[in-house]
Amino acid sequence: MSVSGSNSRALPWALVTPALAWTCAFFVLPFIAMGFSSLTAHEGGGFTIANYSQFFTDPSYWRAMVNSLEVTGTVTVISILLAYPFAWILAEMVPERWQRLALILAVLPFWTSYVVRSYSWLLVLAQNGVVNRALIGTGLIAEPLQLANTRLATVTGFVHFFVMLLTLTIFANLKQLSPSYRKAAADLGAGPVRTFLHVVLPLTLPGIMVGAFLTFVLCIGDYITPQILGGNNELVMPQLVMMQIGRRGDFPLASALSIILMAVVTIAYLACARWLKIERA
Amino acid sequence: MRALVRLTAWLYAIAIYGFIFLPVVVLVLFSLQATSFPIPPFTGPSLRWYQAVLSDARLTSALVNSLLVAVLSSLASVTLGFLSAWGFARFVLPGSAFLRGLITLPLTVSYLIIGMGLLVLFNWAGVPKSLVAAGIGHVVINLPLCFAIIYSQMGDHQINIERAARDLGAAEWKVLLMITVPVMAPAIFAGFFLSMTFSWDEFVISFLLTRFETTLPVEIWNLLRSGLNPKTNAVGSLVFAVSIVLVVFFELTLLRRKPA
Amino acid sequence: MTTTARNPLSNLKSHLSAACAGAALLMAAGSAQAADLNALIWCDHSDPALLEPFEKANDVKVNVKEFEGTGAGLAIVDQSQPGDWDVMVIDSIDVPRGVEKGLFEPLPEDKLPFADLFPEVKMDKSTIVDGKRYGITEKFGYNTIGFNKTKVDPADMQSLTSLTSDKYKGKVAIYDYYLPVIGMAALAIGKKTADLTEADLPALKAELLKMKANAKLVGEVTASQTALATGEVDILVGGGEWVTAGLAKENPALDFSIPKEGAVLWSQSLAMFKDSKNKDMALKFIQYILSPEGQARLATSSCYWGMPANTKAALTDEQKKILRFDEQPGFLARAQAYPAPNADLDKKMQDMWTEMLQAQ
Repeated sequence: MSVSGSNSRALPWALVTPALAWTCAFFVLPFIAMGFSSLTAHEGGGFTIANYSQFFTDPSYWRAMVNSLEVTGTVTVISILLAYPFAWILAEMVPERWQRLALILAVLPFWTSYVVRSYSWLLVLAQNGVVNRALIGTGLIAEPLQLANTRLATVTGFVHFFVMLLTLTIFANLKQLSPSYRKAAADLGAGPVRTFLHVVLPLTLPGIMVGAFLTFVLCIGDYITPQILGGNNELVMPQLVMMQIGRRGDFPLASALSIILMAVVTIAYLACARWLKIERA
Repeated sequence: MRALVRLTAWLYAIAIYGFIFLPVVVLVLFSLQATSFPIPPFTGPSLRWYQAVLSDARLTSALVNSLLVAVLSSLASVTLGFLSAWGFARFVLPGSAFLRGLITLPLTVSYLIIGMGLLVLFNWAGVPKSLVAAGIGHVVINLPLCFAIIYSQMGDHQINIERAARDLGAAEWKVLLMITVPVMAPAIFAGFFLSMTFSWDEFVISFLLTRFETTLPVEIWNLLRSGLNPKTNAVGSLVFAVSIVLVVFFELTLLRRKPA
Repeated sequence: MTTTARNPLSNLKSHLSAACAGAALLMAAGSAQAADLNALIWCDHSDPALLEPFEKANDVKVNVKEFEGTGAGLAIVDQSQPGDWDVMVIDSIDVPRGVEKGLFEPLPEDKLPFADLFPEVKMDKSTIVDGKRYGITEKFGYNTIGFNKTKVDPADMQSLTSLTSDKYKGKVAIYDYYLPVIGMAALAIGKKTADLTEADLPALKAELLKMKANAKLVGEVTASQTALATGEVDILVGGGEWVTAGLAKENPALDFSIPKEGAVLWSQSLAMFKDSKNKDMALKFIQYILSPEGQARLATSSCYWGMPANTKAALTDEQKKILRFDEQPGFLARAQAYPAPNADLDKKMQDMWTEMLQAQ
C-alpha cells in the first residue's frame, strides 16, 4: 500500500496536516479554552470549582440533565420502534424500481428549515391546531387536549426528525443484507420469525446502533425543539446553557455545563464505539 | 392471513408518511393564509406573506449569507477532507488510527458544544463575531463528515489505477487531479452535498458566532421571536422549495452517475 | 434602495449580485465599516419601518444586534473592542450599571426633547449619575395582567390574587423574563419592587411556585403571545399593552389591566457609548428616535408595541386608543419600578427563576 520514494515522507504529511491543524485549532483548542473558562468565576475571574458544584448541588440544574436523558431516551426508543418496520416495508415490500422514490419521499421534510420544522409542529399541536380540530370534529374528544407546550410536544418534534434519519440508516443496512442469508436460514428450517430474530436483526444491529447514537448526540444537544415546543415547563441541558449566555453572559458556567453534557455524550459514544468505526470499503 | 399482514404493513407505511408530512402540509397551507394568524380556520389563499418575505431586506440578505457560508465552508470541508483521506488511505503514517480518530472526533460532539468552545476561544483571543467565524465552525462539523465519506470509499482498485498511472510516469499531482479526483467524484460530491445541507440548516453555531450579518436560520429565529406570523410559514416554505429543487438537481445530475 | 424595497425580485437580485463579490465581502464582514452606526438593541428597534427612514435621511447603515436583559447586553460589550458600539438600548434603571463600567457618554440635554417626556418616566434617579445625564427614556409600558376579556371576568383582573386562584388553573401563561414577573410576585405579597433583598426570596419563590402551579406554560414573547391569541390560555402574567396592542386588530378581545396592587413599569432608555467613533451620528439617531415620528414608529414597532416616552409622539387616534394613551397618568401613579438587583442578588433571582421553571 505504501509508496516508496523521495517524496513519500513529505507528501503524506502535507496531505493530512491541514485537516489535522484545522481540527486542533478549532476543535481541540476551543475545548481546552472552555475547560479553563469553566474553572473561573464569572465575576472576578479567579480559579474556582463553583460552576461544577452549582450543577451537582442545585437540584434545578441537575434536574435539567435528568430531563435531557429522559427525553433523549424516550425519543431514541420510540424513533427506532417506528422507523424499523417502516424501513423494512420500504426495503422488502416496495417494488425495487419505486424504492428510491419512496425513500426520497420519506425523508423529504428533512429539507424544511430546522428552525421552522419545530414551529410547524407548534401550529399542528396548538389548542386550535389541526390535530385538536380533527379530534373534536370526529367527536373523539369534546375539549381540546393540551398538546403544545408539553414534553409530549418536544418528543413529537424530535421523533418526527429522527424517524426520518433512522429510516435512512436502517434502510441502507437492510439493503446490504444478502438475500442468501435469509434463504439459507429458511433452508435450514427457520420460520420467518426465527429468521428475523436470529439472522436479520443481528445483522442490522450496526445500522440501528449508528442511528441510535446519532439520535442521542443530536437530540441531547438540541436547543430549538424543546425551546419552541416544550413551553418552558421544564428545562433541558441546552436550554440551561443558552440561558447562562443569553441572560447573564456567564461563559464560565455555560462552559462547565457544556463540558458535563459532553461527558455524558462521551459515555454514550464509548457504549456504542464498536459499531461506529469508519472503515474503508 | 398473509393478505392481512400485507394490508397492515401498507396502512402502517401510509400512517408514517402522514406523520412525516403533517407539519410540512400545515406549514405550506398556512403560508397562504390571508389573515395574521397561521392557525385554523384557513382564510386564504393569499400570497401577501411571500411578498412580505421577499421585500424584507434582512431575510433576503440572510439568505445570501447562508448560501455563501454553505458553499465556501463546504468547499473548504471537502478539500481538507479529501486531501487527508487520500493521505491516510495511500500512505502508512505513524499513529494513523489515532489521527484518523482525531479528525472524526467532532462528529460525536453536539453542535452546541462546538459553538460554545469556539465562542469562548474567539472571545478570549479577541476575534470578533462574524460570518467567517460561523463558517469556521461549519468546517469543524463538516470536515469529519467529508473525511469519513471519502475515506470509506477509497478502495484498493483505485490504488491499482493510480499505481498504473504512476508506473506510466505521471507526476503525483497529475495522478491526483486526473485519476483520483475523477474516480472519487461521487464520494466528493456526496460529501459536498451533505456539507451544504448541514451548513445551510445549521442554527446554534451561527447564532453564537455571528453579529450583524447572520444566516437564514438565525434570522428566521429572530422573526419567530417577534410573534406568531404566517411570514415564518412563507419563509419556511420558500426554503423548503429551494432545497427540494437542489435535491432534485443533485439527484438527477451528479449522484445518478455511477462510476464504471 | 428606494424602489427595491418595494420590488421583491429586484431586491433579491441586488443581493445576489452583491453575493458575487462574495468572498471578499465575507472576509470584511467581521469588522463593520466606520460609516455604519452600530446599535445594541431590543427587537423593537430592528423594524425596517423604524430604521429605513433614518438610514435614508442620513445615508448611513444601521447595524443592529438584538439582546435580552442588561446582563447579556453588558456581556456583549465586554466581549467587544472599545469603539465597536455607538448606541445601546438599556433598561432605564440599569443605566447606572453602564456608567459604573465607564461605558457611556453624557447626553447633551439641550439637544434632546426632555421637556416633552412624560415626567414619571424621565427616571432622573437612574438616568442622572453625578449630575450628568446618561440615558433618555424612549419607550415604556407595564408588566401586568394581559387577558382575553371574553373568557375571564374582567373584575377578577383587578387583583393579582386571581393569578393564583383555582378559578384560572391551567388558563395562565407566564412571560419568561424573571425581573418583571418577580416584580409582580413582590406586588402580590405586598413588597415594594425597589426594596427587594435576599431576605424576600423565600416568600417570592413561594408566590412564583403558586403561579407556576396555575400555569400552562412559561413562554418568551412569541410563545406567550401565541398562547393568548389562539386561546391556549386566557391570562398572561407579565403581559401588558406590549402584548395586546400589537394584536388588537386581529383579536380585539385582548386587553390588559393595572390591578389594585399595582403593576411593574418597564422603561427603556437610549445611551451613547463613550468610545463611539461616530458620536454625531449616534446623537442624530437618538434625536430621531425621540422625535414625534420616530416615537410613533417605535411605539408601534412590529416586535412589540409600547407607550412612547414623548408625549408629542405622532400617533393616530386609533393607535392612541389601543395604547390607552389618555389613561397613562392614572396607570403611572400605580406603577412601581422594575426590580434592580445587584449582580449577586441578580444571580440568585435567576436561579430562583430556573427553579420555578423546573418545578413540576
